[in-house]
Amino acid sequence: MSKRSPFKVYRKPKFQSSSLVVGWSEDAGQLGPGVIDYLTQRLGGERFGEIEPEDFFSLSGVRVEGDVAQFPESNFYSCQENNLVIFRSAAPGFEWYKFLNSILDVAEHYCGAKELYTIGGMVTLSTHTAPRALLATASSQEVKDILSQYNLARNMDYETPPGQRPTLNSFLLWVAGRRNIPGVNLWVPIPFYLVTSEDLKAQKRLLQFFDERFGLNIDFGDINHEVEEQNEKLAQARLRLPEVDDYIRRLESNLRLSQEENERLTQEVEEFLREEE
Amino acid sequence: MEVKLYKKPRLRSPIMLAAWPGIANIGLIAVDTIRETLEAEEFGEIEPWDFFYPKRVSIRDGILEALEFPSNKFYFKKTEQTDLIFFIGEEQPSGGEKIYAEGGKAYRIANLVLDVAEKFHCKRVYTSGAAVAPIHHTMNPRVWAVPNSPELVAEVKKYENTILMSAIEGREGEGNIVGLNGLLLGVAKKRGFEAICVMGEIPVYLQGLPLPYPRASKSVVEILSRSLGIGIDTSKLDSWAEQLEQEIEEIYRQIPLEIRGQLEKLKYVTYAKPAEPSPITEEDKRKIMKDVDKFFKKRGRGSE
Repeated sequence: MSKRSPFKVYRKPKFQSSSLVVGWSEDAGQLGPGVIDYLTQRLGGERFGEIEPEDFFSLSGVRVEGDVAQFPESNFYSCQENNLVIFRSAAPGFEWYKFLNSILDVAEHYCGAKELYTIGGMVTLSTHTAPRALLATASSQEVKDILSQYNLARNMDYETPPGQRPTLNSFLLWVAGRRNIPGVNLWVPIPFYLVTSEDLKAQKRLLQFFDERFGLNIDFGDINHEVEEQNEKLAQARLRLPEVDDYIRRLESNLRLSQEENERLTQEVEEFLREEE
Repeated sequence: MEVKLYKKPRLRSPIMLAAWPGIANIGLIAVDTIRETLEAEEFGEIEPWDFFYPKRVSIRDGILEALEFPSNKFYFKKTEQTDLIFFIGEEQPSGGEKIYAEGGKAYRIANLVLDVAEKFHCKRVYTSGAAVAPIHHTMNPRVWAVPNSPELVAEVKKYENTILMSAIEGREGEGNIVGLNGLLLGVAKKRGFEAICVMGEIPVYLQGLPLPYPRASKSVVEILSRSLGIGIDTSKLDSWAEQLEQEIEEIYRQIPLEIRGQLEKLKYVTYAKPAEPSPITEEDKRKIMKDVDKFFKKRGRGSE
């Protein structure tokens, strides 16, 4: 009985060496999909492979989202000119170690990937008016030193709280470390009331880093415009909904809201942004 | 994916005791109590990453320092009476959101545990779990025992406070043992090991709560220690049970009066084949189980 490969590669990209960027399709503030989709479109990324879903996802039916049936996809894109391999996927529900190794197998063996970057939104109590920091967890001191030339928060201390589990990004960084692939988990704090919406400011912050790191020459004009638009919508929400303004003002003053107030703020902002679309 | 042994102790036909978490962790706590009391020494582990999602990450000064997985460890102890190997699994490799392992992963990890049993020429394997039963929490839990060969039935019958499936009315010797504590029994049979699963009883209305049930673990420890010919102090389990008593009583008081009235009858039930007429009928017992299941909306009755 032959062993079936968990992935398919339709064509081998012509890379001497490359960097791998990984984002998950469900992420706080749509950070992962927002950044990944922008990069693949902007850099002319071409789909060249995928991980087959059968070992990794519950295929007991389909999930319907926004009136449309969804199916878990795990795709690889090559951005030849920029030596970037991009992987965008739903988070697997089973066989995580095998899944993460499959990502690295494709990136390493078919694209000569030499480093890994993962993208993740981090839910915080800060507001959308606060500047977005970019936090980094490196796989080693060498990687951390390389990142010193960028404006990143690189001194994070963290331990998984009881009852929670590490993120898939931490798991991937660890697996990459075992394979001697240096890497970094990149995190942008997302205001909790934007978690299910898009946090364009956070997406911009991450794109600025990639632009600088990979010399992408991104024209931020359109992104800046979208960020301004979202800021304007949120400003409108504060004007029209005094309750929302009060909650955000208190958060800006470092005051805590009750659980009920948190939920109310999130709901109000979500609804407002949806109506404005 | 492999077993890593840090040392190779010289053991004479050891007996293996293996346990994973399950309902109220009855089996796990029982086996771990014996391991801890005997101060068994750790000597190996199953590499976990292929089976488990990590449980903790440590990041220090911006560098990923460690990723910790649920542990799967082997321990050994040489005693005057017998040599022992313990396997303690911190989680069942269930994948997704299921509690119990099943399918390929369960089969693989069961075989890895038995690879160690084979390497050290184990003469027997014990596994342990919980038996959800129509009993009252004031009763002393019994132990349901399931051997993996007919030759062991006579021996099991001699254990005190222990019953076989055939002794439970309505079961006719049949039942299911869900998860690895049961599967190991079957895989052991396939590979030619004699094995027995011992399951401590837990009242049906406590099965879905996030509480241990040390009284049942104690019953299991008593059976295992007698069978192995070793003395185990169970006073820690007694104090633990005492501490939990108030909490269990409180939960019991929250059950609606109508259902509680039914449950009270369980104090007088002998659900194993009675020598004398039972004070409540089989129909009563079925109604109790149905009402309790409905009330708690938890897992169906059975054993793990």
